[in-house]
Amino acid sequence: MKQLRVALVMLVIGGLLTTVAFVMAFTTAEVQRFGTVTLSERIDTAFPLQEVTADGYRYERPWFSQKIFYFHVPVAEASFLVFGVAAFFAIRFLMTKRKEYDTKSRIAMETAIVFVTLTMITGILWTRAAWGVWWEWEPRLTTYFIMTLMMIGYFVLRNSIEDEERRAVYASVFGIIAFINAPISFFITRLIPSNHPVVFQSGFATSNLVPFILGQIGMLLVGYAIYSIRMNEERLEERVEIMKEALEG
Amino acid sequence: MAETTARRPGRGLSWRQFRAILRKDIVMELRTKEMITSMGIYALLTMVVYQIALSQAGTAFDPRTIAAGLLWLAFVFTSMLGLNRSLVHEKDQGCLEALLLSPVDRPVIFFAKAIGNMIFLLIVQVLTIPVFAFLFLQGSEYGGQLWMIPVALLGGAVGIAGVGTLLATMSVNTKGKDFVLAVLFIPLMYPLLLACVSATTAAVLGGDGHVQQFWSGMGLIAAYDAIMVLAAYALYEFVLGA
Amino acid sequence: MDPTNEELYRLAITDAPYVLAAYGILWVALMAYVGMVFRRLMRLEREVQVLEESMERRAGE
Repeated sequence: MKQLRVALVMLVIGGLLTTVAFVMAFTTAEVQRFGTVTLSERIDTAFPLQEVTADGYRYERPWFSQKIFYFHVPVAEASFLVFGVAAFFAIRFLMTKRKEYDTKSRIAMETAIVFVTLTMITGILWTRAAWGVWWEWEPRLTTYFIMTLMMIGYFVLRNSIEDEERRAVYASVFGIIAFINAPISFFITRLIPSNHPVVFQSGFATSNLVPFILGQIGMLLVGYAIYSIRMNEERLEERVEIMKEALEG
Repeated sequence: MAETTARRPGRGLSWRQFRAILRKDIVMELRTKEMITSMGIYALLTMVVYQIALSQAGTAFDPRTIAAGLLWLAFVFTSMLGLNRSLVHEKDQGCLEALLLSPVDRPVIFFAKAIGNMIFLLIVQVLTIPVFAFLFLQGSEYGGQLWMIPVALLGGAVGIAGVGTLLATMSVNTKGKDFVLAVLFIPLMYPLLLACVSATTAAVLGGDGHVQQFWSGMGLIAAYDAIMVLAAYALYEFVLGA
Repeated sequence: MDPTNEELYRLAITDAPYVLAAYGILWVALMAYVGMVFRRLMRLEREVQVLEESMERRAGE
């Protein structure tokens, strides 16, 4: 029960931090610029006038959809980290054959699939805002799509094996090989020229870094809290099983 | 001195075991011709489906631009069929269990099965390509160097057979069998197929910088094969033990 | 409002629904997931209580 309370506290702190990051992203963070926009009249704006051409006045274009960075990227990075945790516990399981590591690996994978799905959703919305299309076969999107499919595959595999030990071993093996595959597919998809923005390409102002780091910490806390709460549930379930058996026996 | 003499027969033994398992697969195939026939006919049927897909493309469309993709698509599906068959046989006839009971090294089983699967896939590839060229590429010009195609095919077959053998060994022991194999196989194959299609397209189209595109594709194929086959090999022992 | 200013703001405003929707979906989905887990957890908790009571009763008999 103490663990559950800790998880709850972490969930609340994580929620607060990501909310603060969200608010800061729209208030204190410096507006990023992306390309230019040509207007017919000279206007009063904080964005610098680039040049005056025959078409009109060229201003730097404020990049609103970049604001998604402060919660999309933290979720994406957290998802990858949790996936790594799942693979780590899978290795531990194969080394020790202890059931608890398999449970941990499964729960971590479940948390990862939640985060990967959220990354996909926020990513698709961003693609729509920034590029005007809902989907593009672009390295990062594709990699996450493949990751989602592999995680679905992991649970399909689990559900189609009845023998408990075999299920644990096969799932661990697939979890490990899927985790090895994810970065490979990321690098290979980069063969195709991409227009996904590169993070930190030209340095980052402190005013942008603070909300980003807060969001990242918040998301990691939320991730750990979800994992921890699910572990708690798993343990309770086991306890119920044991008690039921004791009552019947 | 004593150590080397003690080791040598061991090594010779695993080589003999390897050959025995591989020979068993090939002899069985020669007798029944089941795998090659089923994979070959499946590949032919895919060609028919391609014809339907391309039927409205018109004459202006250059099929060379997607030829590599179509070929690899055919190979993916036929290889899944073949992998599933090859391990279903082992399981149904209790062959895998017998192998496990015999004092054969587990890595030997992996490599023998993987190379057997690779040989069947290569045979199907060699049979499919002329048919594909005959059906779809008549009158189009071949741009690159001819040796590029077999190199790319071999690179792809190594990865498909290596990872596929691991996945098929797992999937035959599940309730879903071929469905589970597809769900696990296609996402894991994704990077390899992308690189294979890139390299093969460079070979088919030729043109400026195609040699460079081919080699960068081959480099990625080699990296994938090295990492993933090694991982599959390391994990195979656990799968067999379960 | 000045028409050119409007033009500038329009650029930002067209993107806004997607960005805000992304954050909204993110939070609603996370909350829904956590809520679901919690409901299951509470049910299990009650189940454990019931089982514990019946075990105590049996021990008393």
